[in-house]
Amino acid sequence: MRIIIFSWEYPPRVVGRLSEYVKALCSQLASKKVEVNVITYDDLPSETIEDTGVKTIRVTNPVRTHIGVLTWVLTLNPEVERVASKVFYDAENQINAVDAYDWHFIPAAVTMKYGLGIPFVFSVESLEDHRSNFADKPYNMAIKSLEWLGFYEASLVAVKSPWMQDEIVRIYKVPKEKIKVVSSNAEDKLSIYNLLTGDSESK
Amino acid sequence: MKKNITVMMLSWEFPPRVIGGISPHVYYLSKSLVKQGVKVHVVTCDFPDTPTYEVVDGIEVHRIDSYKNPSPDFPSWIYLMNLNMQKEAARLVRENGNIDIIHAHDWLVANAGIGLKHIFRKPLLVTMHSTEIGRRETLHTTTERMIHETEAWLNYEAWRVVCCSYYMISHIKSIFRLPDDKLDMIPNGVDIETYDNIKEDLTDFRAKFALPEEKIILYVGRLVYEKGIHVLINAVPKVLAKANAKFIIVGSGYMKEQLLTIVRGMGLDHKVLFQGFMDEPSLLRLQKIADVSVVPSLFEPFGIVALEAMAAKSPVVVSDTGGMSEIVDHDVTGVKVYPDNPDSLAWGINRILLDDGYQRWIKENAYRVVQNKYGWNKIAQQTKNTYERISSEYSKSNWA
Repeated sequence: MRIIIFSWEYPPRVVGRLSEYVKALCSQLASKKVEVNVITYDDLPSETIEDTGVKTIRVTNPVRTHIGVLTWVLTLNPEVERVASKVFYDAENQINAVDAYDWHFIPAAVTMKYGLGIPFVFSVESLEDHRSNFADKPYNMAIKSLEWLGFYEASLVAVKSPWMQDEIVRIYKVPKEKIKVVSSNAEDKLSIYNLLTGDSESK
Repeated sequence: MKKNITVMMLSWEFPPRVIGGISPHVYYLSKSLVKQGVKVHVVTCDFPDTPTYEVVDGIEVHRIDSYKNPSPDFPSWIYLMNLNMQKEAARLVRENGNIDIIHAHDWLVANAGIGLKHIFRKPLLVTMHSTEIGRRETLHTTTERMIHETEAWLNYEAWRVVCCSYYMISHIKSIFRLPDDKLDMIPNGVDIETYDNIKEDLTDFRAKFALPEEKIILYVGRLVYEKGIHVLINAVPKVLAKANAKFIIVGSGYMKEQLLTIVRGMGLDHKVLFQGFMDEPSLLRLQKIADVSVVPSLFEPFGIVALEAMAAKSPVVVSDTGGMSEIVDHDVTGVKVYPDNPDSLAWGINRILLDDGYQRWIKENAYRVVQNKYGWNKIAQQTKNTYERISSEYSKSNWA
């Protein structure tokens, strides 16, 4: 099993709670013989292999000046695609799944799916509607459209609580059976990856 | 035998969606490339009542959902539209088989072009039609700087970069620090037949715009600072001091109200006609009957309007700047004047208006130059040479 994880924060870069969570999960997955490639942002680009065996690739934004988080994210995506494709070609086209955390790298996940046939999981830590009160400005709606795209294009959605599952059903009208509630233990995530791998093999 | 090259063009506009010069450029270039055996897919934004897929003159046109949710501003929309463009283009490549080259036009398709290059590991060719720093003279705002850096990124990622004039080559080279051997100069083209095919008598058509004794002076372009339309307006009384003429201004833009106020202040409303946007058949006819076509731009990467006028056999007066310095040969194929100088501009216009022999000499020479240098077949041939060069370099790279 070889996967690529997209997360816009990963230690030492900590913005919220996602960073440490993803790191702990990756270590666990690595101990279960999953080859984990984390692609994340940092101010300086780097490529390292952690003691756990997790490979982390940090990219920086090719466009330094931005008018907001939205444009910052959208020019970062092709750079994420660049390194993700490199992982794909270096692995002789054998990537089982992409796991995209939150909305930031949904564009890259969707293009990898269409262009290279790699299915993806959309792992939801939080939603724009919960982060921004009255998320009704064009800026919020653009982010929500990316969340919607993620729900629509993902093979499966992973959430941490039944409450979030219900919220996604309520806000985005996603079929409930597409959304899996996972614990922070890697077993659950692994079983989702296995479901997807079955998917891609039957194609 | 060499196999035919398949190209995927990315452009934010393609007819019938026409916003600026990229749309006709991509259309005529693609059409002529198809005639020369290149297989061309154009991926572009959708347009009302136009099919999402069609074959136009041998070009396979794919129109994508151009992102119609609300977006906060123009550049954010561009980046969001690119996401859709990239997704659809990726699907196309996967379903329809391989492409050899991705050909992107301007920063408006930068994200999609760069992403596709890496996902399929195919060479990216970029045509730079203009630059943000050139349009604005300098970078004032965060938005302008962001667009400038997006252009820099696109030029960095490109296998080669095409510019339409030597002026643009040196401009791009200096602002993005590109090496000499990465740039190709291929001029813009004009379709002479569109003008030659207009054979009817245009006397009645002319009467809609000017009195028989008035000469027609034509300006075609957006009413924005970089186009120097204010310089022309300031030259109006200076021209009228020596000749009887009507100024026809085609196009619109943010300077319109300001220009109207100036014209009214001069008491010359009856001599300057602001036409606004004009449909193409009328515009072509107007270009044919214009006694002088003026292009007073302050910044002009190429100057397609000057070339169109030359094809329409209308004598041109251009400011001696940018691509126009290269297109026009002073006193042979047109008159060059000092940029941003109404006195010089008025002198140039009158030089043509007051000398019929000179006028004939200019327009006949100009027409011949357009035929020899700026036909689309010639330009498509040069573009194909660039494609072949890239393909051959690529075949020796570790991506092949």
